[in-house]
Amino acid sequence: MMDWLQAHPMTVVGLVLWAVGVLWLMPGRQAGSTRPKIPGLLFTAAGLFAFCLSCGKPQTQLADEVMFWVFAVSALLCGVLMITAKNPVYAALWFALATLATCGLFLLQSAPFLAAATIIVYAGAVIVTFLFVIMLAQQSGAAGYDQKSGQSVMATISAFVLLGAVAMTLQQEKLEIGVPIVVAKAKGASDEVAPAQPNMSAMMQASGSGAPAGGPTPPPDAPEEKPAVPGNLLSSADPEHAVGDLKGLGRSLFSDYLFAVELAGTLLLVASIGAIALAPRREQGAL
Amino acid sequence: MPEILITLLTIGVVVAAIPGVCNYLILLERKLSAWMQDRIGPNRVGPMGLFQPLADGIKLLLKEEVVPPHVDKVLYLLAPALSVFTAMMAFAVVPFGPVDDSVPGFLRFIIAPNINIGLIFIFAITSLGVYGIVLGGWASNNKYSALGAMRASAQVVSYEIPLGMSVLGLALMSGTLNLEELMHQQTQGGIMSWNIWFQPLAAIMFFTASLAEANRLPFDLAECEQELIGGWHTEYSALKWALFFLGEYTHMITISFLTSILFLGGWNLPFIAEATSNYPGVWLVKLLVLFGKAFSFICLMIMLRWTIPRFRFDQLMELAWKVMIPLSLANLVMVMFCMQFGFNRWWLFVGSLGLFAAWGVISANLREAELAARPGYVKPKKKAAAVAHGHGHAAGHH
Repeated sequence: MMDWLQAHPMTVVGLVLWAVGVLWLMPGRQAGSTRPKIPGLLFTAAGLFAFCLSCGKPQTQLADEVMFWVFAVSALLCGVLMITAKNPVYAALWFALATLATCGLFLLQSAPFLAAATIIVYAGAVIVTFLFVIMLAQQSGAAGYDQKSGQSVMATISAFVLLGAVAMTLQQEKLEIGVPIVVAKAKGASDEVAPAQPNMSAMMQASGSGAPAGGPTPPPDAPEEKPAVPGNLLSSADPEHAVGDLKGLGRSLFSDYLFAVELAGTLLLVASIGAIALAPRREQGAL
Repeated sequence: MPEILITLLTIGVVVAAIPGVCNYLILLERKLSAWMQDRIGPNRVGPMGLFQPLADGIKLLLKEEVVPPHVDKVLYLLAPALSVFTAMMAFAVVPFGPVDDSVPGFLRFIIAPNINIGLIFIFAITSLGVYGIVLGGWASNNKYSALGAMRASAQVVSYEIPLGMSVLGLALMSGTLNLEELMHQQTQGGIMSWNIWFQPLAAIMFFTASLAEANRLPFDLAECEQELIGGWHTEYSALKWALFFLGEYTHMITISFLTSILFLGGWNLPFIAEATSNYPGVWLVKLLVLFGKAFSFICLMIMLRWTIPRFRFDQLMELAWKVMIPLSLANLVMVMFCMQFGFNRWWLFVGSLGLFAAWGVISANLREAELAARPGYVKPKKKAAAVAHGHGHAAGHH
């Protein structure tokens, strides 16, 4: 821990600056209180810059590198803007943009199907449902409790401690030991650490590109079955499989990960049966 | 010519051509509607009203840009742009002409060739199209707009599922999602290998679901004029309004091309454009054949508008969730069964018809059971009983 702190002062400084900036930008406790945005933006930008400098490694081709930075930085920025937006509609839209930027990163890692599926599921369905609910529930503008963030200090601290832990684990380059811990933490954390999602993705892409080919790089938005098995969508344990295209993906899902896929499918089925059972019937007065 | 120049050229041509084509599609729609309603239609500007679209375009360009004071300005202006952007992006992987050796080197009738996940890309991008509607409706800060936007989001999210599932069987049968490859397989085999023979049910469901995705009648509940003024675009005027319509018509073009490519054999037409035909200028004929197929689908959509009345909202949702999703699942299972046990593909044709008939019977019975459960329901007398009474009409007359 101390070694890492001494070896990577840039990362720590970047994280702290960034955390302060985000905390500053969060909507205040009193609805309607206005704080000047400039210092928060400056802190966030400086922190982000320092953090990216400290953990990024150049990729092979210029075009790839440019695209990587564009997607990674926009994912991070959209994440920050999402949690600092006062208007829930804007927050949902920034979330959508962060998802799209993450999909760009997937594309760069030659996982087009994962990118398209994420767009369909998250940007195309989940966030549209958010918008739907926001519009349906708040016809007369956002409610007071939606314009301020509760527990902003705790949320920021826990999110950035998590981010620091991820950075530390990756920079120590003990990926074999590190991966399950990182993913377990990410899974255990609640929605308070929403900004850490795109952050993690960017970081892992950054260090993954420097890691030896075939090393286990966890996919950021991975379904729950991923950490249990060696190898994953983005870098298969078996180089024979062309993981990027649909054929390889299908073969991998229905051979290597068959158990996990079936388990997830059963879980979803149970959930949908539960939803139908919970919903009131027409005879009971619904519609 | 280097690849990048061809790509830029293709993008330029497509982006320039689509607005013009859309303009004339509006004229076509007005003329066809007039014909169906026994009217004359636009005939003032130019011969047979042929310059009407130009006049309309100039009018829309020069009209005052009104931004109402009560709107959320950023999203209000973003919504029409998003609508066009997503519709245009989806067109990127659609081959709008032959993509083979017969085409001269400097031409390429697809913007992004060799996309492995072509179909899924289209679904992903069109699923983003709903943002234009939802944001437009919300940002307008108007009750009618919000109602239209809410209807639209529910509708589009629901119909995405049958849209995607109806072509899954096709993908399974052909072993690819690449649109060029799907077209190639059908053109090589001639008319008897068009997918519509093996997946007629999927073709109908795909076309219906895409009509719903494009918000065309009979699925235009999001903007139905009689109830919602204009739905989500009530507060829009001039070029912003035109952009929404550009998006809708671009969507129509994409759907027509997709249906022709997926189910009707792409550029293949017996005797004229076969895989073996090798006369000079064959690529132009192939291009025209594909355009012709897409054009007929557009005409079909326009004529459907004046043929089928608009659905009620609960009927719309029932069609998606109770009819099309189970049917497309059954269709998929049927294809899997045939593939697994190596049956002849023509069994799929028989099976599709059987499924269609069986589902009709089941739906009718379910509907009757549901009606019978309602209080105050009087069971209609059978026709045979009425005939026995000596009247050919008026069951329940006595």
